[in-house]
Amino acid sequence: MIKKASVVLAAGLAMATQAFAADAPAEIKVGTLYASSGRYASISMPVFNGLKLWAEQKNADGGVYVKAFDKKIPVKLVAYDDQSNTATASTLYNQLVTQDKVDLLASDSGSVLTAPAATIARDHKMFLFDQTGTGASFFSKDNPYIALMSDPVSTIWPKPVADFITHDGPALGIKKIAILYATNEFTGTQANAFRKFVKDSGAPIEIVYDQGVPTETTNYTVIINNIANTNPDAVIHLGFAPNDIAFLRNVQDAGVNFKMLFCIYAGLETELLEKNVGAKGLEHVFTYVPPSELEYKVNFGMDMKSYKAAWEKAYPDGKVEFGFNAVAGYTTGLVMEKTLGVATSLDQLELRRANFSLSGELKTLDGTYALDETGGQIGELTPLGQLALDEHEHVKFISIYPHETATGKPVYPRP
Amino acid sequence: MPSSLKHLLFIVAPLIVLLAVLPGVYQNHLLLFNFVIFLVLAQGVNIIYGFTGYLPFGYVGFFGAGAYGFAIMVMHFQTPAVLAVLVGGLVGVALGLLLTPLLRLSGAYFAIANLAASLAVLHFVANPALENITKGPYGVSLTGTFNPNMAYAAAVVVLALTLGAVVFLKNSRFGLALQAVREDAVSASMAGVNVVKMRVIAWLASALVAGLAGGVYAWYVSVFYPDNVFSGDFSIFAIVFALFGGVATICGPIVGVIILYGIYNLIGFTTPQYFQLIYGLLIMGLVLFLPAGLVSLATRRGWHVP
Repeated sequence: MIKKASVVLAAGLAMATQAFAADAPAEIKVGTLYASSGRYASISMPVFNGLKLWAEQKNADGGVYVKAFDKKIPVKLVAYDDQSNTATASTLYNQLVTQDKVDLLASDSGSVLTAPAATIARDHKMFLFDQTGTGASFFSKDNPYIALMSDPVSTIWPKPVADFITHDGPALGIKKIAILYATNEFTGTQANAFRKFVKDSGAPIEIVYDQGVPTETTNYTVIINNIANTNPDAVIHLGFAPNDIAFLRNVQDAGVNFKMLFCIYAGLETELLEKNVGAKGLEHVFTYVPPSELEYKVNFGMDMKSYKAAWEKAYPDGKVEFGFNAVAGYTTGLVMEKTLGVATSLDQLELRRANFSLSGELKTLDGTYALDETGGQIGELTPLGQLALDEHEHVKFISIYPHETATGKPVYPRP
Repeated sequence: MPSSLKHLLFIVAPLIVLLAVLPGVYQNHLLLFNFVIFLVLAQGVNIIYGFTGYLPFGYVGFFGAGAYGFAIMVMHFQTPAVLAVLVGGLVGVALGLLLTPLLRLSGAYFAIANLAASLAVLHFVANPALENITKGPYGVSLTGTFNPNMAYAAAVVVLALTLGAVVFLKNSRFGLALQAVREDAVSASMAGVNVVKMRVIAWLASALVAGLAGGVYAWYVSVFYPDNVFSGDFSIFAIVFALFGGVATICGPIVGVIILYGIYNLIGFTTPQYFQLIYGLLIMGLVLFLPAGLVSLATRRGWHVP
């Protein structure tokens, strides 16, 4: 009797396992867009290459572990080129969802190309792995279908800079500051947040210049003279990489020496800036310290050293710069992998639950992955640093603030 | 049967019915929606360029103004979406009125001034000082009115109205007068045509069409930035599609959008790496061999193209 029951049970189990295996898809489809040309190509291609590198690496290893099917399944990256065109991007996102029926959806880089994805994902009840779209309008309590993967929301990004100015600034002699920003969501939001942090701090800091300029601005000569006339102790320039390049070049050409100069992309895309501005032009510039310059202890995926080596092996031509965005794409892959390793099904709300369960637990080369209740990224903070030249005249980072992560003291005023 | 009725029955009605039915059989609704939007914009370009000869490089200015007209009505006055779309159209007209002095220019001067005007509108809307009104560069989120099906239906209605207007221009004394102005303004004036009035009406009609399209677009996408709705790609696509098919006709811009935007998406879905090459060759071929658009293949043989 027992023998008979065992045989029936074994047969049942075998059939169940067979059915389980049959349900497992042959591949996990990850849908995303990239911009090979146009205005956003420089921030999109490094992100895409990072995600591609992750997928190739996983597939070489037999795929990613998917808990829902308790097995490794290869990843298929379904990617289209939106050419930085938002109307095209919206069509292609919809194609990924409705025709390719991807299992996971990741947006293109930056808020402008993420905007159509946020709407489409919500409409189709698809969880969006938002790679670097930091726009505050994407995140709300009534939208469960989005989470920001690889950089903090714009509203908290400039906190270390503001904290440095308000906490350490007065002792250094910083009393008057100038804010110059490009009028787009990414940098405009940071300018707002920075201004608010400074005002709310109650520190004896006066904002003597506060001006927004179009993102397309390429000549800052007059603006630099206007800023210099206000005699600021610190200049905070918040713009995209082309803005930083033009601004820093014009600062050099004008022969103006601001005592403290902060630029976002001097740290985020240092290779690009160094090519265009020169190492001397970046010396003593304050900037964000990107994860590529920090050795975060990881509990999942490659650490920074291994990743950089893998990147250089995969993309030896150096056409796409290794920097902040390259790390962001790979981080998205890691978060997706970990999400699949936790989710009990491929249902989109279950993916969300699994993704949010990683908050505070997952530590990648990009720092600690932490989300607020709306899906905004609040971990992976970027400390304030200053660029210096090493003995070979190459740019290196000195982490300045917060003090816990500091690797040196600020050089102020700029010599 | 009058030719205008024939055009409505055999060109406009089948297209509208087809576009109304397609969402039931094809799931990428945004692709269909974009087809409708570009059909509207190409016809809008047709109205101003095909019938008056003014090439509006900054046509997207009206489109973006319409989108922000919609957004402001929804954000600040909580108006129903349909009413907000109408206001979007009126905002386009208001901007058109403001820019009527540009009509004193012609040729490349008008095209460049129009482009500059659209950039000025973009930077006006994206100005952080207007954050309380337009949300400045920080983008708008209109999730409260988000309704893709209704927005698609509204887009089809706007297309029907636009095509109706083009049919009118094609078959009326007014349209003939416009074409006379385009060919030779002095002669037309001598023949009793009020040149300024004609041009202004065509200009405002074109602005209205783009404003309505912008309003519908804002309704459908619901989350956008100034860069999304003032992207120069909208102008370029609308102009290229209209020219590809052939302007001053009803069918030309329709054929241009269906073929060129169809190929654009086909390449985008299949071989995006060859996109620039294939698309570039197509447009070069058009400029070299069919400067009057695809419809010239028929008109050269003496066939009448509506």
